[in-house]
Amino acid sequence: MNAIDGTDRQIKKDTTPPPSLLTVVLDTNPHAWAELSDTLPISAFLPNLLVFINAHLASGTENEVAVIASHLNRAEWLYPTPHVTSSPPGTNGSIATASVPGNPNKYRQFALVEASIISNITRLLDSLSESAVASTTSTLIGGALSLALSYIAKSEIRHSPVDLTSNGSDNPLSALADTEAQSQRLSLTSRILVVSVSGDLANQYIPVMNAIFAAQRKRIPIDVLKLAGDTVLLQQACDATNGVYIKPEHPGGILQYLMMGFLPDQTARKWLNMPGAEAVDFRAACFCHRKVVDMGYVCSVCLSIFCEPNLPDNLCLTCGSYLSLAAAQTGPPALIPRKRKKKKKVGGTGTDSVTPGGNTPAGSGTPMHA
Amino acid sequence: MSASASQALAYLEELPLTVHKKLYQQPSTVLAIFRCMLPHLAKTIVMAMLYMTGPLPIADLDAWVREDARSEKDKAVSNLESLHIINLEQESPKQYTYRLNAGFARSLRQALTGGGSHASFGVPPSQPDPERVDLAFLDEYARKRWETILYYMVASTSGLANAESLGSGVNDGTKTLLRNGEFVRVIHGKAHITEKGFSFVLQEVNSQVWSLLLIYLKHAEQLQMSEVDILSFIFMLGSLELGQDYSTETLSPTQQKMLEDLSALGIVYCSSKSSTRFYPTRLATTLTSEAGALSTVEPVIANALDAPSQGSSGKGYIIVETNYRLYAYTSSHLQIAVLNLFVKLTSRFPNLVAGKLTKESVRRANGLGISASQIIDYLATHAHPQMQKNNPVLPPTVMDQIRLWEYEGERIQTTDGYLMKDFRDEIEYNEIRAYTESLGILVWRNDHKRFLFLDRLEQVKLYMENKKNRGRSQASK
Repeated sequence: MNAIDGTDRQIKKDTTPPPSLLTVVLDTNPHAWAELSDTLPISAFLPNLLVFINAHLASGTENEVAVIASHLNRAEWLYPTPHVTSSPPGTNGSIATASVPGNPNKYRQFALVEASIISNITRLLDSLSESAVASTTSTLIGGALSLALSYIAKSEIRHSPVDLTSNGSDNPLSALADTEAQSQRLSLTSRILVVSVSGDLANQYIPVMNAIFAAQRKRIPIDVLKLAGDTVLLQQACDATNGVYIKPEHPGGILQYLMMGFLPDQTARKWLNMPGAEAVDFRAACFCHRKVVDMGYVCSVCLSIFCEPNLPDNLCLTCGSYLSLAAAQTGPPALIPRKRKKKKKVGGTGTDSVTPGGNTPAGSGTPMHA
Repeated sequence: MSASASQALAYLEELPLTVHKKLYQQPSTVLAIFRCMLPHLAKTIVMAMLYMTGPLPIADLDAWVREDARSEKDKAVSNLESLHIINLEQESPKQYTYRLNAGFARSLRQALTGGGSHASFGVPPSQPDPERVDLAFLDEYARKRWETILYYMVASTSGLANAESLGSGVNDGTKTLLRNGEFVRVIHGKAHITEKGFSFVLQEVNSQVWSLLLIYLKHAEQLQMSEVDILSFIFMLGSLELGQDYSTETLSPTQQKMLEDLSALGIVYCSSKSSTRFYPTRLATTLTSEAGALSTVEPVIANALDAPSQGSSGKGYIIVETNYRLYAYTSSHLQIAVLNLFVKLTSRFPNLVAGKLTKESVRRANGLGISASQIIDYLATHAHPQMQKNNPVLPPTVMDQIRLWEYEGERIQTTDGYLMKDFRDEIEYNEIRAYTESLGILVWRNDHKRFLFLDRLEQVKLYMENKKNRGRSQASK
């Protein structure tokens, strides 16, 4: 009877990796692509992206994909096409769209995704008017990122076995019993891949930063494939969310970069040495003129950054609290003498670095010095 | 990788290189093997190598994979090597490289890009079907066929009065298949389910389909059918579109013959034997995906149609309470029959049966050859969505108790051996006892009655004979 031991519980662990959702944010800024037309025009890049998406769908039977275009002044869905089918598409294998003809040489799921992306991007580029092109040279990356994040959130709810709202610790017994099965049952792992061609995104510093923090909190890595231009912002996004940042040296071999650098999902990344950005530029953009600054002024209440001390009415632009930056410029900073009686405290108050409050997620600090 | 896929993987790995080479000519086969047979890391490695210009040096792979994932890597590489997808080559005396099988790489690239003219993803007929069938019909058809097979198997034990008639629609080919797989034994013209059959019944539908198909494959040679043809057809079925009709004209004779057998199983639907078109059912299209195939619950089949929108929810029907009571929201005879194997059912309502897991019921199931883990797996996979919130899904006390009940049956350990008794005197007894103990063949002894139980006799025999001879020679002196 000694062999009987109730604790010897072999719970069959589900070894199947959870399905993975890849959200591609494709920068379709015509200005930037025009500059790239010699080395890698968008017509040459798209087939590579499509093969990559197919490879992702093939890597797991329930893998899903979503593609968003970050256009001049709006973010557009490329796949899934909204409002056409009521059921959320994406799962391999069973969405019937009559409009795509059967091709015996192509896996149906791949054909559907490709057809949708190509038709949507054609529509998007056809609708491009001259006035719209002239109006701005930037791209709405912040909007596209938020769209991607909201889609991911929705997909996660869709994938959880039951509604998460009531999934509290309502079963304390089972929580006590099984440490092995404790590891959270992940129903979906998601990641965002930003294919970026435009530089100079500082004017969207605030929305992009918010998206980065949201992604960091939800543990969604943001990968960046930087084809042209260089932005401080996206590098920070990768760094903060543990994403992969690659700026290919040979745009011709773009597919190999995609396949090796960006295809492994979160499950596979645990086993691999992933490329990372070597030196991350942590500079922030100021809130008043959207300029990237080396050194600036910080509101003591809301941590907003300003590039110059002359604020209207000495009020912070973000939170409206009184902020006299001029005084900081002229007068020397007030040094509070350290109290002698208190014995050594770890990390005593430094004089030159104002660390943000504990609420800021770790690793996201934006020091003022480059 | 699900249990069903690992079954198929084990079979595939045993095939020789020549068969693999032939298989890898079809992009649909390659894609299916890639999608559902390979471990996750192996997929990543293959994809990284797919568009590489040269082979991958072994040192580079080691550098890419983390130190602490060594075992994962070894598993992935050994899987890939046994499937002949990658080969180890010696470039120079010191450098070993992995090279992707050329045929596999070409087919996978074709599958990803949709190139070539292999037509391996099924050819839709040129004319639309005048008697087109819809998804609901296909699901119903597949479910009916599959349940008939299961009824046929459990008919002998279910205790249902009409079980025999429900299982009577099984054709001879399927019966032979079940016999070949040793799922049933036919005694006096009646099918009796075997231990293997019980574990088959308790599996998920997807695993069941694979089990049957693998048995079909193993006995294919007797029917003069080529393995490669059958395998590529199975994998092609897995990549077809549900609800779409396909032409049979491009199929090989083996595959056309197979179509007939598969339609008896409910995996494909043909309106008649002479029809030139066939529809894959959900059983076929989920072969290479892990989304649960048709759930056998009648009311839920409607939900299964829009399953992608609901994820994995909506297929369970069993609620188990910590007091061992079990409620199953079902009216399917089959499910009730299966539950009846290990649950003491007490009451039945139009859409609900209630019962209790008792020691007797579980022990009876153990006696039939159903193991505790099979019962637990069955309950967990068919748990009601409300139950699936819990982690673990089943109450731990119930899981433990089911296991303990099984252990209890294993209290007696049997050993074959020999009993020695009627020793002449205490001295002889002690001598033999000491000898057998030192040899380690003594299983049990009773000093009072002078009984010894040994699991081997030869050495003792020899020892005693030697002793006797010695004694005699001493006496003669």
